[in-house]
Amino acid sequence: MNRREFLAYGALGGGASVILGAAEAQTATRTYELFIEPADVEMIDGTIVYMLLFFGGPPGVREPRPVLRAVEGETVVLRIVNNAPEAHRFQVPGVTGATTTNIAPGQRREIRFTAPVGGTYIYLDPLQAPLYRLVGLHGAFIVTPRNGLTLAGSPTPYSATSQTAAVRAVFDAMGTMPRFAGDKWNPNDIARDKVWVFSQTDPALNKRVELRQSVDLATLAANFKPRYFTINGRSGFDLDEDPTVRISGYVGQPTLIRTINTGLATHAPHIHGNHCFELAGNTTAGAVSVRSNVYERDVWMLAPLDRKDLLLPFEIPPDIPREAWPPVQEPWPLRYVMHCHTEMSQTAGGGNYPQGALCHWELLGPQRPVA
Amino acid sequence: MTDFPLAGTRFDATAPLNFDSFGCNTYKVDSLPTPDRLEPDVRFVRGVRFGLELPTPDGKTIEVWRFEDELAPRPVWPSPPIRVRQGQLVHTQIYARNNAHTIHHHGIEPTTFNDGVGHVSFEVSDTYDYQWRPHTPGTFFYHCHKNTVLHFEMGMYGLLIVDPPSGPGTIYEGGPSYQVEAMWVADDLDPRWRTLGHSAGMCGEDVGLNRFDPKYFCISGVFAPNTLNDPRVMVRAQRGQTVLIRLLNASYSILRTTLPMDAQVVALDGHYLGGPEKPWCAPYTIRANTPFEMVSAQRMDLLIRPRLPGVFTAKLEFLDWVTRAIQNGGQGVAQTQIVVT
Ligand SMILES: [Cu+2]
Ligand SMILES: [Cu+2]
Repeated sequence: MNRREFLAYGALGGGASVILGAAEAQTATRTYELFIEPADVEMIDGTIVYMLLFFGGPPGVREPRPVLRAVEGETVVLRIVNNAPEAHRFQVPGVTGATTTNIAPGQRREIRFTAPVGGTYIYLDPLQAPLYRLVGLHGAFIVTPRNGLTLAGSPTPYSATSQTAAVRAVFDAMGTMPRFAGDKWNPNDIARDKVWVFSQTDPALNKRVELRQSVDLATLAANFKPRYFTINGRSGFDLDEDPTVRISGYVGQPTLIRTINTGLATHAPHIHGNHCFELAGNTTAGAVSVRSNVYERDVWMLAPLDRKDLLLPFEIPPDIPREAWPPVQEPWPLRYVMHCHTEMSQTAGGGNYPQGALCHWELLGPQRPVA
Repeated sequence: MTDFPLAGTRFDATAPLNFDSFGCNTYKVDSLPTPDRLEPDVRFVRGVRFGLELPTPDGKTIEVWRFEDELAPRPVWPSPPIRVRQGQLVHTQIYARNNAHTIHHHGIEPTTFNDGVGHVSFEVSDTYDYQWRPHTPGTFFYHCHKNTVLHFEMGMYGLLIVDPPSGPGTIYEGGPSYQVEAMWVADDLDPRWRTLGHSAGMCGEDVGLNRFDPKYFCISGVFAPNTLNDPRVMVRAQRGQTVLIRLLNASYSILRTTLPMDAQVVALDGHYLGGPEKPWCAPYTIRANTPFEMVSAQRMDLLIRPRLPGVFTAKLEFLDWVTRAIQNGGQGVAQTQIVVT
């Protein structure tokens, strides 16, 4: 108990490596183990910050902040062990049964719940909200639809019963409209399904928790002065090569980006190179809300506890003159940034631009090579 | 390609990005020819200028940085708009003048070299021609993308408007029309950040760029509360006319806008809603006196169709990104008027 993991920058892996296809949906249950533990985590500038993290994944796997995945309707079995020095809870907001009461230090708890309708969810510790989720106890829970096909047969991340005409039109356009020549969205390729969990860290707050000092929840937001801004636990240069975050592909390989904000600051994710389709968000009660009017955005609002799914179409960057496509003199790949436009989030430790919440997508070429 | 001078630059594929060249020591060029260059239909020249001191309503001054139109120099802020037509081939030439900068045409999607992001391409110490051809009409903006947290906040931005091929007056060719056009660019300024140098923090110093406490609030360069009656911000229209408001949040606050009349949202982030090529979206209406929010860099194109004469007040509130409190102890508000005759 209370063993302390050290996570050097570059060491934070994460992201379950499998996507669950509908064929696997026959499996009645899916089991995950989660360990709530303290960790000393190295920030991009070398600062060590105390965090509480969920470690785990499928039995035997031990990743920080694992992405949990299930197929709609499956029974999810979670075995949660609290190795932290204080009580914690577990919750997937908006999902019935996906919640615990206090788990005392050293105690374990098993819960079962039915995987809800396909979409993007957050798991977190709701105790003394938002305290423990800010200190690190959060992650992504992804539910694959049992039947995600549109009427025209295009794969989507949403159950046929929750799809809107607008979202169907987007996925039907992929690989069909000349503007989106190439592939349909491929739900079975992990490289086409990204999870970006945004968070912010104020080391002073984490220090209070480490020292087991009380935190006044009424003034927490006013006193929250974040100094590190992360995606999946990393920032800046560390994200550049992170395969769970970085997106690589050819024109015509549309990619889903599930964006989540577990912090307390409202982010403004901004992507270069292509506008993205805002497919879904969440209701205040936590349910998935598939959009009935799908906007093409280059910036989307990501407020605390928001989950927004975007589709990066991987179209030819549309403002390249067609006479100059594909580029001959300019080197490939074409690289584009995604960064939060509320630019305080682009800093680390009060400076160090652009070592904050910034990552990249890259176009490897004008079309996918024939396999 | 051998006919293009990349050998010896970081793009000869022998010098991968590292921690240092990612931030502190970003790759810089004095000048570089534009790769895959074409002859432009239209050309803009923008030179970086520091040191413009603007008078504030409390009797002080505050410094802004800006891009000057070097073909028609005038000390104006925000930087002069770039206005082009859909399909024109555009070159924007930067003259850095003071150290290294870039121009990113926000929402325009060209190649990486023409996108103006230093760490994936280069910062410009002298001059470069950014090449792009806007494929869709809409509301965009341009800004410096070096130490962006600071350079954008210091004011290095201007509007970028793409009209349909037939020119101003419609949202897109064959789309909704308007007779009156207003441009509201919301911004907030923190005096403390004026004490910082252009490269502040980039090589590891803690200069507090994670903390933003704006004291002044502007619409299109006019400081609140003067926004209420300033003709650069106010809208004047006649009954029966359609007014287009191009709204940009160039601040680091959550912008909460309340309009005194129904508004039809016809475009977001430079992409119009509806039309035969976009079966996934359609214009929608925001009812009068219903607040709506935008985060930094978002744009909304709103059509209002006043039916009654009178003077109507619009309110823009700047909210802190963590607490959502109105900035500066509740003072972070800019209002203006829509006068209908
Ligand atoms: Cu600059
Ligand atoms: Cu921008």
